[in-house]
Amino acid sequence: MIKAIEAIKAIPNPQKYRYAVIMASCTLFFSPFLFLPGLVDNPDLCGKVCIRRFYLFFPGMSPADVSGKMQVAAIGVYILSLILITTFFFGRMWCGYICPVGGLPELVSRTFSDKWKIEYRALPQVPIRYGYFSVYLALMPMLGISACTLCNFITIPRIFDAFSGNPKGLAFALSAVGLVNLALLFLLGFFATKGRAYCQFLCPVGALDGLVNRLGAKLRFTRRIRVERNRCTGCNICARNCMTGSIKMVDRIAVVDQLSCMSCHECVDVCDWGAIDWRAAPLDEDPKRKKKGVDFHPQPQWQAVYVSPPLSKNK
Amino acid sequence: MPLKHFLFVIVLFISFIQTVNAAQRHPDPDGCFSCHALEGLDYIDKNGVLRSASIDKQHYYSALHGSVPCKDCHRRIREYPHKVENGEVDCANSCHVEEPSEGEPYTHKAVVKEYKDSVHGNGWYKGLTGGNRFREAKEAPVASCRFCHGNELYIREAELPKFKEAFDHLDSECGSCHQGEIWLGQFGGHILRRFIGSRWNKNDHNKMCNGCHADHERMAKVEQKNEKTGKKEKTGPRFILASDSYATTLHGRLLETNVMQGASCIDCHAPKGFRHGVLRDEKSDASTHTDNLAETCAQSDCHAYATHPLNHRFVKTDLHDIDMIPVNNSIVPRDQSRLESGWVKALIALSPIIVILGGGSLLWWLFGGKKKSVTFSILGGDAFQEKMIGRKPKSKVKKKVHQKKKPTATLTRKEAEDE
Ligand code: SF4
Ligand code: SF4
Ligand code: SF4
Repeated sequence: MIKAIEAIKAIPNPQKYRYAVIMASCTLFFSPFLFLPGLVDNPDLCGKVCIRRFYLFFPGMSPADVSGKMQVAAIGVYILSLILITTFFFGRMWCGYICPVGGLPELVSRTFSDKWKIEYRALPQVPIRYGYFSVYLALMPMLGISACTLCNFITIPRIFDAFSGNPKGLAFALSAVGLVNLALLFLLGFFATKGRAYCQFLCPVGALDGLVNRLGAKLRFTRRIRVERNRCTGCNICARNCMTGSIKMVDRIAVVDQLSCMSCHECVDVCDWGAIDWRAAPLDEDPKRKKKGVDFHPQPQWQAVYVSPPLSKNK
Repeated sequence: MPLKHFLFVIVLFISFIQTVNAAQRHPDPDGCFSCHALEGLDYIDKNGVLRSASIDKQHYYSALHGSVPCKDCHRRIREYPHKVENGEVDCANSCHVEEPSEGEPYTHKAVVKEYKDSVHGNGWYKGLTGGNRFREAKEAPVASCRFCHGNELYIREAELPKFKEAFDHLDSECGSCHQGEIWLGQFGGHILRRFIGSRWNKNDHNKMCNGCHADHERMAKVEQKNEKTGKKEKTGPRFILASDSYATTLHGRLLETNVMQGASCIDCHAPKGFRHGVLRDEKSDASTHTDNLAETCAQSDCHAYATHPLNHRFVKTDLHDIDMIPVNNSIVPRDQSRLESGWVKALIALSPIIVILGGGSLLWWLFGGKKKSVTFSILGGDAFQEKMIGRKPKSKVKKKVHQKKKPTATLTRKEAEDE
């Protein structure tokens, strides 16, 4: 109990708000309240609000077929466009702050010890994600594999259904496909470090969103998580905390992968040096690495030796 | 018999006192209502079941055939009182609507033929009317005409204003070519109603099919002829749970939320003809036969591309996927084949990992983890340190560096604090 309170206290304040928003969106999107899907008379995130399947590609598709597909999931089309537009200007706000499907596993995962989890963040996530994404877009439809087979957007709402006494939820959870989806939710969610492995590898919305995020990052006025390189001490605390494994230490400077970063701000909150921030354009366009001994943001000596992790802000 | 005669007299007598409230749509030329309009006209049938022969006039006149005199359909009744069996209707007979250009009475023969050739056609009762409604509703394995074609309103209430408006123009628009009482009065209405739109939407279709197919117990009794052995055999879970598996597909989910682009049962199973010719998948002219599937899917607006050669696997997508419905379904006989699916195998492979990680987490949470330091996962933690952070994982460094470097570390820490 005390341990739990301590753990909660250790969470940086802005992150507490983020967690609260995710929890709130769980109540907005899922049973028993279903506030948002309820607005359009939908019992879950499937069918006309599905944001995952209207862009599937089939050989021989005509423009009429495409627009037909979009009509079927008209509301999903609006939602996805909204997500992508905000992403373009502000970074992946939906994924980091709102999406209950990615957020719930993250929150659950964070309550477990990091030791007993699978660390997926070292895997080459970009090739895996976009490899699977292309298979998902073209090969799976062609082979007749349903887009719904590995979908967390059905699994998680169904769990909430089951707990709120809706027989449909239980029925899904007890089916062979449902059980495997549940198992994957455990392995790619609850028991993944930081719980975002589904987002990293399998989510088509995340894959699209990542592309837009990357595209927008090229413009100077868009807000993104960017590193001011001559401030980065190479302490790597951001990389260790990044839930999506977007930060890689290259030459002892944090580099953010804009295809995967969700602008969750955790790195900003843990960086003691204010080197990483959510900002418009990088301040140092052509940064030169400041060497030891040069009197500009003096780098502590221990960085060169680097044995133990640096002092933590939350000590 | 004497009892019946006696009844008849009483009935006649009372009928004079009866007042008729419903708007009478035909004058009851055969006088059937003299008896049948009476309340409590009950009798006990051969099986000892109490049956009611009363007809609610209001109900009848507002029904689909409310304007048709009784004997137009109940043709075998020639005298009073009549035998129960003579009351039965043969839907394949010709009927009251006349095709004006030839003057021939309309008949459902073509529909009945299509239906008779279908899976539902080897009906339990000749003429497809169904004799005993009770038995039919409860036990009949295949449906008669009446099962689906109830005496509902010919024109939906919501469509009535539209129909009335069109009907007012009937004279000017259709009447310029098709003149005469029969064309306009009888046939015109029939055509017009179809013109206004189909009376049933896809959800109504599904509801109709689910009337039987969602009833697991009833479906479990169905026997199908095995084409190879020629013997009748019980069906499997795929058949019995067909309605449930359909409900898990996008087709079912769309219709459930009133998005009419989803495909209904008969959109796939009887898309052609009079929509009565549901055939088994194995039959070569079934719309769901593997060779015809592409065409069936392509007929809709949704999957026009289904006939593209690269999509030939797409049209084989299982729309009655048994893996989507609960494994533990007590109504359906346990079938080992359900355990052979790839999903079940995947589950068997995945669950031990979950158990180990879950158990470890729980134990760690209860007993371990007092040490306050950065922990890395047992699975992949080292790779993360090497690749993402760019340092040697502790487990690999320990032996060599441990003694040498440690003093440096404490020293640097102090230095850092000084600064
Ligand atoms: S299961 Fe997933 S892909 Fe399928 S309809 Fe639902 S949200 Fe869309
Ligand atoms: S990647 Fe997908 S599941 Fe993850 S947060 Fe984004 S939309 Fe949600
Ligand atoms: S780089 Fe920072 S903001 Fe982006 S996902 Fe990682 S921790 Fe969150």
